[in-house]
Amino acid sequence: CTPIYRNHGYAPSETELGEVVVGIDTRDTVQDVIGPPSASGVIREDAWYYVASRWQTRGMYAPEVLNRELVAISFDDAGTVRNIERYGLEHGRVVALNRRVTDDNIKGVSFIGQLLGNIGNVTADQLLGQGPNGN
Amino acid sequence: CGGNKEPALESLTAEDIYKKAEFELETTRNADDAAVLFGEVERLYPYSEWAKRALIMQAYAYYIDKDYENSRSSAQRYIDFYPADEDAAYAQYLLALSYYDQIDLIGRDQGLTYQALQALRTVIERYPDSEYAQSAILKFDLAFNHLAAKEMEIGRYYLKRGHYTAAINRFRVVVEDFQTTTHTAEALYRLIEAYLSLGLDHEAQAAGAILGFNYQSTEWYEDGYKLLQGKGLEPDVLGTGWLQAIYRQMVKGEWL
Amino acid sequence: QNYSFTNVQIEGNQRVDASTILSYAGIARGETVSAAQVNQAYQNIVESGLFEEVEIEPRGGTLFIRVVEYPTINVINFEGNRMIKDEDLEQIIQSQSRRVYNPSLAEADAAAIVTAYEQSGRLAATVEPRIIRRSDNRVDLAFEIVEGRGVEVERISFVGNRFYSDGRLRRVLGTKQAGLLRRLIRSDTFVADRIEFDKQVLQDFYVSRGFIDFQVLSVTSELTRNRDAFLITFNLREGQSFTFGEVTASSDLAEVDVDLFQEAIRVHPGVTYSPALVDNTIARLERLALQQGLNFIRVDPRVTRNDRDLTLDVDFRIVKGPRVFVERIDIEGNATTLDRVIRRQFRTVEGDPFNPREIRETAERIRALGFFSTADVNAREGTSPDQVIVDVNVEEAPTGSLSFGLNYSVTNGAGAAVSFSESNFLGRGQYLSFSLTSGVDNSVTSFTFAEPAFLSRDVTFRFSASYGESSNQDSTKYDTRRVSISPSLEFPTGEFTRLALRYTIAETDLYNYTGASPIIQAEADEEALLTSSVGYTYSYDTRRTGLNPNAGVLLRFNQNFGGLGGDTKFVETTALVASETTVMNEDVTLRAEFEGGLLNFLDGNSRVTERYFLNGKMRGFDNNGIGPRDLNTPSNEALGGNMFAVVRLEADFPIGVPEEYGIRGGLFADVGSVWDLDNDNGGSVDDGMNLRAAVGFSIFWTTPIGPLRFNFSDAVQKESYDEVRNFDLTISTRF
Repeated sequence: CTPIYRNHGYAPSETELGEVVVGIDTRDTVQDVIGPPSASGVIREDAWYYVASRWQTRGMYAPEVLNRELVAISFDDAGTVRNIERYGLEHGRVVALNRRVTDDNIKGVSFIGQLLGNIGNVTADQLLGQGPNGN
Repeated sequence: CGGNKEPALESLTAEDIYKKAEFELETTRNADDAAVLFGEVERLYPYSEWAKRALIMQAYAYYIDKDYENSRSSAQRYIDFYPADEDAAYAQYLLALSYYDQIDLIGRDQGLTYQALQALRTVIERYPDSEYAQSAILKFDLAFNHLAAKEMEIGRYYLKRGHYTAAINRFRVVVEDFQTTTHTAEALYRLIEAYLSLGLDHEAQAAGAILGFNYQSTEWYEDGYKLLQGKGLEPDVLGTGWLQAIYRQMVKGEWL
Repeated sequence: QNYSFTNVQIEGNQRVDASTILSYAGIARGETVSAAQVNQAYQNIVESGLFEEVEIEPRGGTLFIRVVEYPTINVINFEGNRMIKDEDLEQIIQSQSRRVYNPSLAEADAAAIVTAYEQSGRLAATVEPRIIRRSDNRVDLAFEIVEGRGVEVERISFVGNRFYSDGRLRRVLGTKQAGLLRRLIRSDTFVADRIEFDKQVLQDFYVSRGFIDFQVLSVTSELTRNRDAFLITFNLREGQSFTFGEVTASSDLAEVDVDLFQEAIRVHPGVTYSPALVDNTIARLERLALQQGLNFIRVDPRVTRNDRDLTLDVDFRIVKGPRVFVERIDIEGNATTLDRVIRRQFRTVEGDPFNPREIRETAERIRALGFFSTADVNAREGTSPDQVIVDVNVEEAPTGSLSFGLNYSVTNGAGAAVSFSESNFLGRGQYLSFSLTSGVDNSVTSFTFAEPAFLSRDVTFRFSASYGESSNQDSTKYDTRRVSISPSLEFPTGEFTRLALRYTIAETDLYNYTGASPIIQAEADEEALLTSSVGYTYSYDTRRTGLNPNAGVLLRFNQNFGGLGGDTKFVETTALVASETTVMNEDVTLRAEFEGGLLNFLDGNSRVTERYFLNGKMRGFDNNGIGPRDLNTPSNEALGGNMFAVVRLEADFPIGVPEEYGIRGGLFADVGSVWDLDNDNGGSVDDGMNLRAAVGFSIFWTTPIGPLRFNFSDAVQKESYDEVRNFDLTISTRF
């Protein structure tokens, strides 16, 4: 069966990247030329990262990433572009995610409370005896 | 059915109805009858001292009965009429509690958490020396913690599905806006995971450094260290990135 | 000049205590205060809205504040209201019992009630607020309402309509003439803003038929003599109907391959112009751009008009839209549903380019979950102009249903049913249902569980188990018992296609057979048979997601292979092909369906419990009414067949009853047959393929509990021994 393709994120194309000149462009000019970064900094943004990835889902298998383009633009203290690096999918590492989660001590509604909490609608198929598993 | 009770209550004095309501509240479990009785006191004798106390007791009765909507409206009415009264602090606190108790699992609606935070903040700011300020501060931190948990929940959602930049942005919100909560350590750890998955080792190392410096005792730091070790990396400070900036300023106090 | 007060004297306050008034006045004792501040204090106290009169008078060292409090409202009641009930009126007014009585507020409430009456057609209603003094400065507030008579619309007429008749236009309009069912409904009462709505309806009707210059010049309405009805006349200027001329796609962006987009355009010259077709094409082109991975693409149509030959040339220019990103997706209001259940409906991830069409489709998917009474998704500006925050606001609706009780179905007669179903189990979006239905002669217990995001992928895991017993001794002369367990996985394999893989293990038992047919007797002797089969269903469905919203095709092809262990080896293939389209501007729906099935047993014979009977697949015949029969048994026992095929043609259309009843009519024709037996007992049973046909009409009625369908049918071609049924009541399920 044919796979389904999906694109996520955004990375500037070669032509747009060409317009960014190391040493001259500042954060604002970079933002005007190629837009806000996918992951941008907060206090003193030293590096901006633009990430674009293409995903493929085949049948019942989990979606896998086909390729990922990461453009890293780093700035020096004066805020001008210091370096433009490119990372690909091959630089990424497969990391096993940690199962532990910081627990939150807010107690939820009890199981029964949720179950009976939103009883309310009558559907025609119950009345006419042809339930979803219609006999 | 209020009709037939009317003559019976008309003849009683404010104090009797109040006592009757109080008795109802203490003995029987259904607090909503008590709340209705307190309401009657206020309606029949709107000028008596009892009316004021009945109003606050009505808010309390509705709260006990978990009828948060009415509890909020009665508490709000008390604050409108008797802002300078010493029970106003309790009314404001009841208002906050009625939002706070409705906060549910982190996966659920967060609208209530915001309202709870606002109400708790008014208690803390307007009545700092009342006996409720202390527990309001505690509940404020818990609600704030709850908000951070929601951001973490969404961050993990994106991390699990491999959308690392979305996850990074969510965990960053926790690191910067929710520094006082218990989730900051995990947020930093998740950042290590996300940056490593993208291949940005120096950012992962920086996250590890901050985790090491501030949260040395947590298991998150141990796992972070192992994770970075596993990749042959030391959590040291090199390279640049927003995290180094935080590390330099927060840890070393260099503000340049 | 300014003053300094040693003490403040407050008089006249009963309910509001002195410290409150002081806090409003904002003047502390012993503080030097200017005249302006005193005046300001006066203003504050007045604005508090608690006092009827306020006087402030500085006398030497003391400040005198004298107030007269507004009375508080003891009880509010309404007299003379028949059309609108007290509870609705209470929602409209602002004054409330136990709150302060404010005369201006009471006047505003009276006006609000008058407008409420005007909205529902009572133009002559009058409302008078009155207060009754009570002890302790309390008042009772009463609204005396005189409703007056309703105003009906008597007749609607049109001037200047050459292309469409008055009758056709009346059917299009919202205000119907005072029809036969006037008592029942109120929609034909005359309301001003309904006329505005009707103008819009007329505009849409004409523009969607190519009349781009259509205009409603004026609407005149005269009141009949005895002031109880209106004559409305619409004055129209239709203009001419335009058709599409040259339809092209163009772009000056390097990465856009123009001929690809040109092919995607389905509108060809000569077709009547309509804005819907243009929007439709824009949707196609934007979706194509998305598939090509082009971001920030916007399609804006340039229309050039040539009046000579009444055509419009449309050029779809593909341009670079603004570069905007989705910064955050915030979800609120989900009291029971978990955040991830809603978030996973988004194909857009935070940080992705913002695509309004994608967000609209996601809103549709969230609503299609069926968990929410309202679900609106809108985007607002984020922290920077080129970033957007998507807000999802939902309101939960009850998704569980617990029902005990009786139900009636034409096939099984009356029966008792206990069923619990929850389509949003624990807020995780999982479906869980357990039901026990027992009819006159059969009972089925079934359990179904479905997890739409199995392993958080776009894969639905479904597990269903059922145990059924039937003992319809009078008609089929045998009892059956069937236990079946079937897990399945279903997932999309393309934009329109889905594949489901399933495994079924079932045991069917045919026992205490009292009939006379040797065929069934042989089958009954085999006692319980275990079948263990693997199967798949491939479906191609362009109806909802297809580009043409009002037409679509469904192909469903499935096969089961029995023989993975178990006692039976068989291959069962069934197929359903259905297509549906709407004509005459979406009033009439035409539907054609073909359904066929082939069951062939590799070893041994099929049994009556597995064979086909066309129950519920062909109208006009009773249960087990069609198919080969053992004629030399006293009651012509039905044997079913290994093969079946049926063609169903249907049309449904409005029958002139106003829409709000939800009643539509329909015609149908079914042609089909059941045939072929492995063991036809040496030829004494005719298992050839004899076509049956039935025609009939049906009435559709959408009721609050669901769409009902009444079928009246007549079997025009049948075998002598078939059993016919002329009336059937079912739920009009969509395939």
